[in-house]
Amino acid sequence: MSLPDYNFLAAPLWLVTTLHVITLTLHFATMNFMVGSIIIILFGRFEDKWNHPVVRKLLKLFPAAMAATVTLGVAPLLFVQLTYYQQVYSAAIVSGWFWLIIIVAAMIGYYLLYAGSFSRSGDSRPGVWLTLALICFAYISFVYTSVFSLAERPELTRALYVSSQSGVVVNSDVGHYLFRWLHMILGAMTVGAFFVGVLGRDDEQTYRTARGYFLYGMVATMIFGLVYMFTMGEYILPLMRSAAIWILTLAVILSLGALHFFFKKKFILSGLMLFISLPAMVLSRHLVRQLYLEQHFDPADLAVRTQWSILIVFLICFVIAVGAVWYMLRLYGAGEKGAHTA
Amino acid sequence: MNYPFWDVDIGYGILMAVIAVVHVFVSHFAIGGGLYLVVAETLARRNSDTLRLEFLQKLSKFFVLVTVVFGALTGVGIWFVIGLLNPAATEMLIHNFVWGWATEWTFFVIEIAAAILYLYGWRTMAAGHHLIIGWIYFIAAWMSLFVINGIITFMLTPGDWLQTGAFWDGFFNPTLWPSLVLRTGVCVMLAGLFAMVVASRYDASDFKARVVRFNAAWALVGLAITVVSFLWYWRAIPVAITAAAEEMMPSVIDSVTNSYWFAAAIGAMAAIFGLIFARRQHLIIAIVTLAFGLGWFGYFEWFREEIRKPFIVFGYMYGNGVELSRADVMAREGYLGGIKFRTRNDSADLFRRACQSCHLIEGYRALKPAYDGTDTAFIAGTIRGTGAIVGNMPPFLGTMEEAAMIAAHIYERIDKRHLGEIYGVNGVELGRIVYDIRCGKCHVFGGYNDKAESILGLSDQEYHDLLDMAGELSEEMPAFTGDDREREALIVYLKSLSEGGTP
Repeated sequence: MSLPDYNFLAAPLWLVTTLHVITLTLHFATMNFMVGSIIIILFGRFEDKWNHPVVRKLLKLFPAAMAATVTLGVAPLLFVQLTYYQQVYSAAIVSGWFWLIIIVAAMIGYYLLYAGSFSRSGDSRPGVWLTLALICFAYISFVYTSVFSLAERPELTRALYVSSQSGVVVNSDVGHYLFRWLHMILGAMTVGAFFVGVLGRDDEQTYRTARGYFLYGMVATMIFGLVYMFTMGEYILPLMRSAAIWILTLAVILSLGALHFFFKKKFILSGLMLFISLPAMVLSRHLVRQLYLEQHFDPADLAVRTQWSILIVFLICFVIAVGAVWYMLRLYGAGEKGAHTA
Repeated sequence: MNYPFWDVDIGYGILMAVIAVVHVFVSHFAIGGGLYLVVAETLARRNSDTLRLEFLQKLSKFFVLVTVVFGALTGVGIWFVIGLLNPAATEMLIHNFVWGWATEWTFFVIEIAAAILYLYGWRTMAAGHHLIIGWIYFIAAWMSLFVINGIITFMLTPGDWLQTGAFWDGFFNPTLWPSLVLRTGVCVMLAGLFAMVVASRYDASDFKARVVRFNAAWALVGLAITVVSFLWYWRAIPVAITAAAEEMMPSVIDSVTNSYWFAAAIGAMAAIFGLIFARRQHLIIAIVTLAFGLGWFGYFEWFREEIRKPFIVFGYMYGNGVELSRADVMAREGYLGGIKFRTRNDSADLFRRACQSCHLIEGYRALKPAYDGTDTAFIAGTIRGTGAIVGNMPPFLGTMEEAAMIAAHIYERIDKRHLGEIYGVNGVELGRIVYDIRCGKCHVFGGYNDKAESILGLSDQEYHDLLDMAGELSEEMPAFTGDDREREALIVYLKSLSEGGTP
């Protein structure tokens, strides 16, 4: 029976990869801001913490940041599934229950952030809510790291499936991805520190707190990143020979530059370097995945049948979306003239 | 069969329903609620109705908390769960509709940003600007429905896509428009019903009466659109599908009938307690009316999922992830060779791939009650003949040996006592049970594939002959493998029917 085949890419691979890298960068930026800022609020020093204007401002921003994190997380998930469907679905099924509980954890975390944002000044309960929310987000990020690391190891996926088919198995090579996860969480802390520093730039204590988290966070991020690299074993040499190492080096230089300018209170330069380092990190992460999967799967082998018309529709809608969000923010920023009197 | 199989003790249908049904309730409310808010705000501002504006402000907080958090995350949850339950179908849909989904995502971005700004903008934005954001929200939300509706309806009526494989042929499929109008009606109806719940908490007053009446009228308009467009939707489904449902799937037809009762109940409740007794509408009444609304929609979604059976994408891929185009190859080579993730237990692997997407041994669509007291030969026979069983199942595409292996897997898990002992019956009553189990899955008296004319009124010897040759009557029919006690009881039962007994 002749029926249409679906084993194809509906756009050139470079375009899918580019969109994946861009959208994942945006997702990481908002997620890092949110998780990093929560860590700093909970563990950093702020005078009269729950009355502190920077903390209050962040509490108000968190639900929107969460909304952005979730929304911007949908697209990279779509694009990675488009290309690495075999690996990603298989790994997710092996850890099925843990994977599914991500939704519950995200929902709880989201509502806790709203509870924090609706709290009154001076109320210390947001401390409890943020702690619980952080636990939820730590769970989500850990399972994500576990599943995506497993997706890079088809043999391990197969072996774990033989051991249990009920979706209650996590990636057993914890020593490998634990450092990857710590690297990401601490990286989030540095991004959070940047935002806290910018918001509290006029308050010396807040700035000092942010600077400390930025500095020590970055040192720890680099250490764990390095340890993670050493856990790669046989893949280290190919990594050293690949483009990934150069992109990674660029990301490290940019991060150090961001730290330098942050210390000099040149926030625009610092932010620019920090946010250029993000796609570099995402791209090197993508290249590492390709390295792991080299023996099993090459996405370049997938047939390409570009669906031009709907692709153009998407690109137009994408531009409209960016324009619409910008326009709405402008309206919102225009102020309260004419607001109803209730 | 390129993926591992998630072996859980909860039926796939239940898992899907828990997440998907909750999501569709909230997501449709999110669209209708957007329209409701912006229209009601326009009217309230035009009439300088401050009380109404306060009500809308409260409603929008509830609205954003429900839709942006719960709605958005259950939407992501659907992504997660379909990838776990049917990765092959998800892969197929993503490869064909990735840009559709990506386009939907752009509207989702606008929708979420607009929802948050709309909520926070009540006290900080100019009225006109606030309304603009409200309209942007609604348009983006409805566009999101428009896109996803094309993909959902594709699964039931892929239309010309089956020949061309072209994106637009799949998207603009035969049920796209009626489904879009129907879902728009549902959005409107649910928004009115949700708003009625919020308004019913107010003390009896002129204001409450005004708001409740507005909400009831809003819900009734949505209901009217929904009911009329459902008829259009039904007619847009190819006759072959609806005819098969009427013949083989009583649960589908039951869900349509029940949905009409729910629609009548919603109409009556909204008209009586929303229009006539609006001032005193009680919270419980509003919640019950909303529950009817959700019940109606739940039945519709159930109907939509069921009528597609045995396919996940009609005419293209079966519910267990097997592509129709591979049917011939599989009939020759069987399942096992195509299963990429095997567990060293071939029988269990086969059972999972061939059956477990829709059936558990116990629990969801349980097989145990259907096979308790039977034997491996009978079980294997019914597996080979699944395509003929009532309920519209996919044909078994494995080999004879594989059917036997699945049968052995099931047999190990059923009650092996005699049917008479299991049910504690004898004589005609035992015969009725023997008929239901061994014959009634494919031959329903007065219903599907009724053979009453040829099997009632025979002599004892003719019944014995018929049972002796049962396995030779057709390829899909298993031999009669019950013992003499079952055989005698079955004949007594069939003879009792010939004498005017009831099945």
